[in-house]
Amino acid sequence: MALPPPDPQFVLRGTSAAVHTLYFSCGGSEPDIPLLYSGSESGFIHVWNLRTHRVDTALDGHGRKSVYCVETMGGKDRLLSQGRDQRICLWDLAEGRTSVTDSVFTEHVGFCRCSLLKVAQGRWLMAMAARSLEEIQILELPSKTSVCTLKPEVGAKLGMPMCLKLWQLSCGSQPVLLAGYEDGSVVLWNVSMGKALSQLVCHQEPVMSLDFDSEKAKGISGSSEKVLSIWSLNEQQNLQVYKTHELVNAGISDITIRPDKKILATAGWDHRIRIFGWKKLKPLAVLDYHTATVHCVSFSDHSNPRERLLAAGSKDQRISVWSIYAQT
Amino acid sequence: MAVFDTPQAAFGALRPVCVQLTRVQTVENVRQLQAHLAGVSGAALQELQEYVLFPLRFALRVPGPKQERLVQSLVQCISSVLAATCVKKQELLQELFSELCTCLAPPPSSGKAAPLSEELKLAVIQALHTLMHSAYGDVVLSLYQPSTLPLLGFAVSLLLTLAEQEKAKQIKISALECLQVLVLQCDCQEHRQLDEDESQQCGDLFASFLPGISIALSRVIAGDVKQGHKTTVSAIRLFYLIVGLVMADKQLARIPKSKEKLPVEHSRISELMIHRGPDWTKSTAEKLSLLLHKVVESSSVHPHWKVRLELVELVHHLLRNCSQSLVDSFSHLLKALVGLVNDENSEVRSRCNKVLQEISEQRIVAQSRALADVLSENLHSLATALPRLMNSQDDMGKVSTLSLLLGYLKLLGPKINIVLNSMSHLQRLSKALVQVLELDVTDVKIVEARRSGPPGPLQQGVQKGRCQKKYFRFFTEEKVFQLLQQVCRVLGYYGNLYLLVDHFMGLYSESGLYRKQAAMILNELVTGAAGVGVDFLQEREVPLNVDDLKGSITSILDEYMDQVNWYLVTSNDTEEGSPEQSVQHLGLTARAGGTSSSVVLLSPEPPVTTRTINSNIWQICIQLEGVGCFAAVLGKEFRLLLLSALYPVLEKAGDRTLLISETALGTLADICEACAYDSVQCLINENSDYLVNGISLNLRHLAYQARASQVLDTMLRHSDASLLPLVEDVIQDVLSALDQSYNSQASTFLRVLQSVMTALVQWFGMPSAEEHQQTDKGHSRALSQGQQEVTMTSQEVERFFLDYVSQKQIAEGDLPDLEEEEADDAPLAKPEPNTDTEGEAPMPSHAQLARDVMERCIHLLSDGSLRVRLKVLDVLELCVTMLHPHGNHLLPMAHRVWPALVTRLINDDPLAVLRAFKVLCTLAQTCGDFLRQRFSKDVLPKLTSSLLSQAPVSARAGPVYSHTLAFKLQLAVLQGLGSLCERLDMGESDLNKVADACLIYLSAKQPVKLQEAAQSVFLHLMHVDPDSTWLLLSEVCCPEGFEPPHASLQPVKLSGMGRPRNELTDNVLLLLQRLQQQEATGPKTSTQEASPS
Repeated sequence: MALPPPDPQFVLRGTSAAVHTLYFSCGGSEPDIPLLYSGSESGFIHVWNLRTHRVDTALDGHGRKSVYCVETMGGKDRLLSQGRDQRICLWDLAEGRTSVTDSVFTEHVGFCRCSLLKVAQGRWLMAMAARSLEEIQILELPSKTSVCTLKPEVGAKLGMPMCLKLWQLSCGSQPVLLAGYEDGSVVLWNVSMGKALSQLVCHQEPVMSLDFDSEKAKGISGSSEKVLSIWSLNEQQNLQVYKTHELVNAGISDITIRPDKKILATAGWDHRIRIFGWKKLKPLAVLDYHTATVHCVSFSDHSNPRERLLAAGSKDQRISVWSIYAQT
Repeated sequence: MAVFDTPQAAFGALRPVCVQLTRVQTVENVRQLQAHLAGVSGAALQELQEYVLFPLRFALRVPGPKQERLVQSLVQCISSVLAATCVKKQELLQELFSELCTCLAPPPSSGKAAPLSEELKLAVIQALHTLMHSAYGDVVLSLYQPSTLPLLGFAVSLLLTLAEQEKAKQIKISALECLQVLVLQCDCQEHRQLDEDESQQCGDLFASFLPGISIALSRVIAGDVKQGHKTTVSAIRLFYLIVGLVMADKQLARIPKSKEKLPVEHSRISELMIHRGPDWTKSTAEKLSLLLHKVVESSSVHPHWKVRLELVELVHHLLRNCSQSLVDSFSHLLKALVGLVNDENSEVRSRCNKVLQEISEQRIVAQSRALADVLSENLHSLATALPRLMNSQDDMGKVSTLSLLLGYLKLLGPKINIVLNSMSHLQRLSKALVQVLELDVTDVKIVEARRSGPPGPLQQGVQKGRCQKKYFRFFTEEKVFQLLQQVCRVLGYYGNLYLLVDHFMGLYSESGLYRKQAAMILNELVTGAAGVGVDFLQEREVPLNVDDLKGSITSILDEYMDQVNWYLVTSNDTEEGSPEQSVQHLGLTARAGGTSSSVVLLSPEPPVTTRTINSNIWQICIQLEGVGCFAAVLGKEFRLLLLSALYPVLEKAGDRTLLISETALGTLADICEACAYDSVQCLINENSDYLVNGISLNLRHLAYQARASQVLDTMLRHSDASLLPLVEDVIQDVLSALDQSYNSQASTFLRVLQSVMTALVQWFGMPSAEEHQQTDKGHSRALSQGQQEVTMTSQEVERFFLDYVSQKQIAEGDLPDLEEEEADDAPLAKPEPNTDTEGEAPMPSHAQLARDVMERCIHLLSDGSLRVRLKVLDVLELCVTMLHPHGNHLLPMAHRVWPALVTRLINDDPLAVLRAFKVLCTLAQTCGDFLRQRFSKDVLPKLTSSLLSQAPVSARAGPVYSHTLAFKLQLAVLQGLGSLCERLDMGESDLNKVADACLIYLSAKQPVKLQEAAQSVFLHLMHVDPDSTWLLLSEVCCPEGFEPPHASLQPVKLSGMGRPRNELTDNVLLLLQRLQQQEATGPKTSTQEASPS
């Protein structure tokens, strides 16, 4: 008989608003305190100290509009956040500062998270949904120079981009963007040429989230339907459906593959977090704790695999932290 | 007499006397010489020393038997000369020495000592003493040459014989002192310090005498107590001085390998000389060890403290000088020393402590592996014997045994680790400690003592750092426990913490038998390791590593707070204990695979004896105390551990066993102090996030729900409104958990709901309802005043009439005046919550919670268990109070509650009926109109009819009736009805119904209690409507007639007038009287006439 699912290791309370995004920064060695950044609907970014399980600082930079993407840019002192105030802010948190050093006005009204890719030391590429409906803009950071704008062919009717994933096969190779669109399709873009390489209709409904494993050249996407779609990328740079997985309840708001590519977690509208083995998409666990839609899931980047954590943020204003499959 | 300063003058004076003495040796002549000597100055005498001595020595040397008195006076005279002068010639010294000795020598013919007079002996001894002091340093040394060995030996043996065999104390002491001088260890400061070579030489020389001296002295020391303590003290002193000299490590280290050859002429003497080589040292040490043992044994129990003090000095001296050569003796010596730490004499104690201090400061033990071995050997044997001793000795004995143990440990100091690293030592020691610390778990009171009611504010009655008084099996003396504590702390202070913690954790998990003791020891170890409250002799070598300490503490805490060790059966209460017990089983089976220790408990139905429970209670207490200790040790660092530790402690603070909850409160206070929180409330408030986390996670498991709810309970009770946002979702969790298990967990959750509601009422309580009433009262007061003054004057009659008319108008619903008056009153009243706007505004979260809770109450109102129903009614009342300002929400809820509540009112246990009445009263404050109709329609008829039908039964019943349910029900209804009528402001017809039903209970035939209850109903009715009540009562019985105030009015005729006395009379009269009083003091009491709008 399968073991009953475990309890959260800890639950972080106190955001007093729905949690929309989570990001770990635990890679540092001993004296560094492991941190978790959370972005909430009230526009605050909370920095959680994972040793005391308390908020160290609360950052307010999005005019009390929902923050739906938080990410660090090399080290825990530089932070990028994206909010519904249509801005992407760059933060300087070193030595206790809490100031916004720079910001990008996206003019995008949706809630498509931007995607960040480090291309060289101190240089990042960022993909973000642009002002006009179907466009995606690629910027270089921190210079904020536009690299290119990705426009679908005329009449493609993809709708708004919903989720983005910038990646490159290896350091120095061509950066590639995967974008999920409102009509349920996933498009592979060549960033440097600015043209679509492949398009695959994965879902009938908008793609809510996707993640991609560049080693196996396989990706997974979730939408508001009951289906998870796994697709692969062949040598000809073509996307093709590999497999679909039927869920009990509809609606996936976030999908994350663990950095070691062994398991993945989904955040469900049914208040549950689901864990799958990435290789065969074997369902491993259903984590039931939240009492409202789970908005985001995130795996920690602990250098010691045993300390690895999973965090999930939910509309019920709680962040649950789990220690699950840490040994394998 | 003239003083002769110059040698010439002195010579002149002394010459005749000396000549005289040389000629005729008589006592008289000696006395004359002595008399003259007194007049000669020291310097002059020095010049004439030999001259003066000559006749004296000559007289001594004259062959043939001499008069004893003469010898004595000669010797005394010599000694007075010597006292004033110095001996500067070696020959003179040696000759005098031998001549004096000869005086004591037995005549060559007989073998035994001469039967000399005591005075003579004393004189000779003193003369020898003086001689040794009068000799110059270098000159003295000439006595200590191998060639003089026989002479010295002779003197030594003489003196020893005297010391040993004489009866007179004075002689014994003098002999011993003289010996002391003889071995160059005089106490006085006049002597020249010997350099190393010289003392080495003396050591060689004295080695020959060592056996004789030491044996003889040990005999003296062990001798009869009657010889006086001084003798013993001197003997001991001499003993250690000589042993310390001969066996000094410094000297022995310099002894060459082989015996040096002496010149040939000394060959006989060289046979006497001893070579202090290793072999000799070893064999001597062995023999000395025997003697020392004897010495220690006899003197450590010597009745006189000075002897014991001298023993301390002995140990000190030997330990300082001979720690290597006499290493084997130290087991006795240290034992004696350590044992004397607790001597009854304070001087001995303090000296002993000082010596111990010095020993450890000089690191004598730390530097000598051999000594450490000796100590550890002692420790081992003591540890082995400890349980037996603890079993057999009385408390005093135990104290001394334990202080011995403690002393060993302290002496070992940093070397403790040698002992600890040996498995057998560690095991012995730990087993001994564990056995000694066995608790007495037979006390039933501990199991029975329950916390009565909810505990008050945490701050009260919490004494920080106070440990619960424990009762041990093997001792009762507090001092014993303190010693054991010290033992553990010293172990922790010096020992390797990881090793110790590991070992005792092993014991802890090994068997339930050891668990409590091991925990106790662990607590003390950690305390000691941090250096708190340790009484140590020397600083440890390696300072404490805080990280190590923290690591150890974390692992101990984990073990303590493990399910298996933290959640034990502490109650055999079948009613409320059972859920906990089932929790216990669940917890155990859940982890059955993992732990081996739980196997014992896994037997199908472990019979829970009082003993086991008591033991469990103690274990939890000890662990709680441990948490307190750890906090104290870590200080603010402990804040990080609160994450895992606070929740379990708080859980125990809510435990129903008095001892546990008290201890837990103490622990909380400790934590507060350690982590620098101002109060327990602060502690809880600032860490409420940790607690909430624990609660919410535990609520997810059926088995832990009870405990989680306890913590929530405690937390709510000690927190304030700022907590609400955090707790809100947990309360929702509780509610949803309750939804899933109405049957099993209802009573536990209800407790939480009750505390939630109590807290909410406390935090957000709305006083507006009462204020509302206040204005009513003011208003009615004005009215009642009008009524009250019904006096005789016609104006007043007129006014009464006018009042009456207006009253009547009011009664008929025509309220022009009243509105006016209310309008007047309105500014006075505080603005009431505006019910219209409120419905639209979102309800505050606390009111929402109250509504959610109330909803659950509806379901639970018809629960099967009375206890649950009673609780529900309480909670319900709180909910109603809470929702009071939110009428729009309360009314629908009240509507839904009503059917269930009615059932409680008319068809339930009397207790429930009473509570239901209370709830009704509370409800009535808000929804009076809403309830009035329903009450008079649904409830009142049934109640009155049941009252009426039961009345004849109770009137006839005997005394047993008061135990029946029917009686209780009657009582409950009667007790509740009055206040309810008042609160609901019932209409006249209903009031009449009530009055009718209750009237028969005023009968004297009814049980007294019912009568009283009925009276209370009428008293309430008087408040509502005094007039009609008066009328009603007067109809029954009217003691006095009423004269109309004016002839035009008809005489009053009441049916009660002139009636014969009947069963109702007494009570009615009483009530009328009360009514009159009430009217007289009218303004003070209130009569409610106007209905609350």
